[in-house]
Amino acid sequence: MKVKILKETANELKIEIEGAGHTLCNLLQKILLEDENVDLAGYDIPHPLASNPIVYVRTKGKAKPKQALLNALKKAKDINKEFSKTFEKALKKI
Amino acid sequence: MEIKVLEKDDSNMRFLVKGVDVQYVNTLRRLMLAEVPCMAIDEVVVIENSSVLQDEFIAHRLGLIPLKTNLDEYNLPEECPCKSEFGCNLCRVTLTLDAEAKEGTRTIYSGELISENPEIVPVKENIPIMKLTKGQKLKLEAYARLGRGKKHAKWQPVSLCAYKYFPKIEILEKNCDNCGKCVEICPRKVLAKTDGKVEVRDLMACTLCQDCVEACPKNPPAIQVKWEKNSFIFNLESTGALPPERIVKEALKILDGQLKEIEKQIR
Repeated sequence: MKVKILKETANELKIEIEGAGHTLCNLLQKILLEDENVDLAGYDIPHPLASNPIVYVRTKGKAKPKQALLNALKKAKDINKEFSKTFEKALKKI
Repeated sequence: MEIKVLEKDDSNMRFLVKGVDVQYVNTLRRLMLAEVPCMAIDEVVVIENSSVLQDEFIAHRLGLIPLKTNLDEYNLPEECPCKSEFGCNLCRVTLTLDAEAKEGTRTIYSGELISENPEIVPVKENIPIMKLTKGQKLKLEAYARLGRGKKHAKWQPVSLCAYKYFPKIEILEKNCDNCGKCVEICPRKVLAKTDGKVEVRDLMACTLCQDCVEACPKNPPAIQVKWEKNSFIFNLESTGALPPERIVKEALKILDGQLKEIEKQIR
């Protein structure tokens, strides 16, 4: 999974994630939109077969878009970790 | 977050998840379908084929036979240190088939495939491969490799992988006259009439089809079918390649790996 930064300004970030798809981007978008500092977040797959998704983040005020994305990734990892732990526990109960 | 395993056996699993977003559950579902690797026959060398079926037809049929997979011992061909197109002992398993119909017509089954590794064998022995008539012969060597479902469906470890919202049925006792029309129409027999009163019998079976709401003669209907926003019933059916709980764990591992990878590159 290779990340290419297409555009980066004070409030905007546009990246292309090679090899990703709806699987990851939809989750990222949802978590980004939960962030108060995020003004706009979304992703686009220009062509279903021949292209990689482009994730776009725009933040409000002084918040850095890169930090918002990193926070979102951290949050996704935390959810994943919690699910993993709870799942193990649930398996032991049966 | 809350998870409860409702049913589990060697190939099926049903669990209840509470307190997660749809997006996350959907990510897991998509990962299990397209990213969790399993074994399947990928390349076939036909040594002798005097049957009526073409070589490629047989190769396709062989590919679709689910194989028991050992994810800890084998590597994906693209990640294997051998870097060879042909593969090595760590990324390839050889299976051979040598069948001949000596007396009359017979069917060849998956059980006749002989694997070099007794752990990597067809999930079931009674999957028909093809029929041979008297005097016909089939001899071949097949190479099984790990792969992902996004490349070909034969590498999907699940035959069913879906979730549904946790149903919530409300019967408004004030308006309900217990006519029983909703009980009759329900295809999954979710509702039941006990002591002349309509009650929910088996909530989990509800598919949110809303037939009962439409069948109610009252206006507005005395029954309401809703769903809980962040609760899901996840249904998983393995092909037998991997145990169902392993498929879930593998999907979790893959997601964690992908997130870490992106994080590392952005930073």
